[in-house]
Amino acid sequence: MTVIAFPPRHAHDAGSHWPSGELNAIVEALVPQLTSGDAAAWDVGMTELGDPQFYLLGPPPNDECIMCISRLGRVYVLEDGAGQVLFEHNSLLVLAEQAKRVLQKRKSQIIAKAAVLWCALREAFEEKLEPIVGESEELLTHFVPQLAAFA
Amino acid sequence: MRFAKAAPEARQQRKQAGNWLKQLRADAGLSQVELAGRLGLKYYTFVSQVENGFGRVPTESMEAWAVALGADPSTFARQLVSFYDPELHRLLFEVRS
Repeated sequence: MTVIAFPPRHAHDAGSHWPSGELNAIVEALVPQLTSGDAAAWDVGMTELGDPQFYLLGPPPNDECIMCISRLGRVYVLEDGAGQVLFEHNSLLVLAEQAKRVLQKRKSQIIAKAAVLWCALREAFEEKLEPIVGESEELLTHFVPQLAAFA
Repeated sequence: MRFAKAAPEARQQRKQAGNWLKQLRADAGLSQVELAGRLGLKYYTFVSQVENGFGRVPTESMEAWAVALGADPSTFARQLVSFYDPELHRLLFEVRS
């Protein structure tokens, strides 16, 4: 049987309260997201009870938390920036994988929204432009023969 | 001409909001766990996220936070807007037409 030693709370440096191995594991798992621009930066903090938190920050100018990983005893909790619990697990690696998936999904949703917006704008533009172009063509067919006669 | 606030300023304002909320919670005699319980949150971690200045109280739950902290929802929301969106607060409450 494999017994995993689980470090007790408050046993780590006061800077982050994350055991360095765990913090490295989270950061390593999210490096692709940090380098691709899905997330801009990360920071750490802790709760009133000393539970460590990892904050993944979105792009400037707001740098708001887009995802938060907290360690509550033996459970890791993944929340979005609005406090919605997205996932919870007792394995940090499983949770980090889930965090990656959520970020990828988030990116796809943003791209999909941008595509829908672009199509809607284009359609609206064409709808507005079509009558104007049509009118100009009509005017042209009326005036060109008259102008030609004057010439 | 006014420009959008710079990133460090936005962060600083959120931190100030977090400190204000922390004080409000302390005045109400609540722990982060108790406040989360009143808000119906499964975990108390979001309260910490907001108080540490990394997240913000969502608009749709501002009233619930105010009630949980024993504050007037309108005054509470106005104060939070002054931290989260100072320009909007200025236009809504400071500019005389």
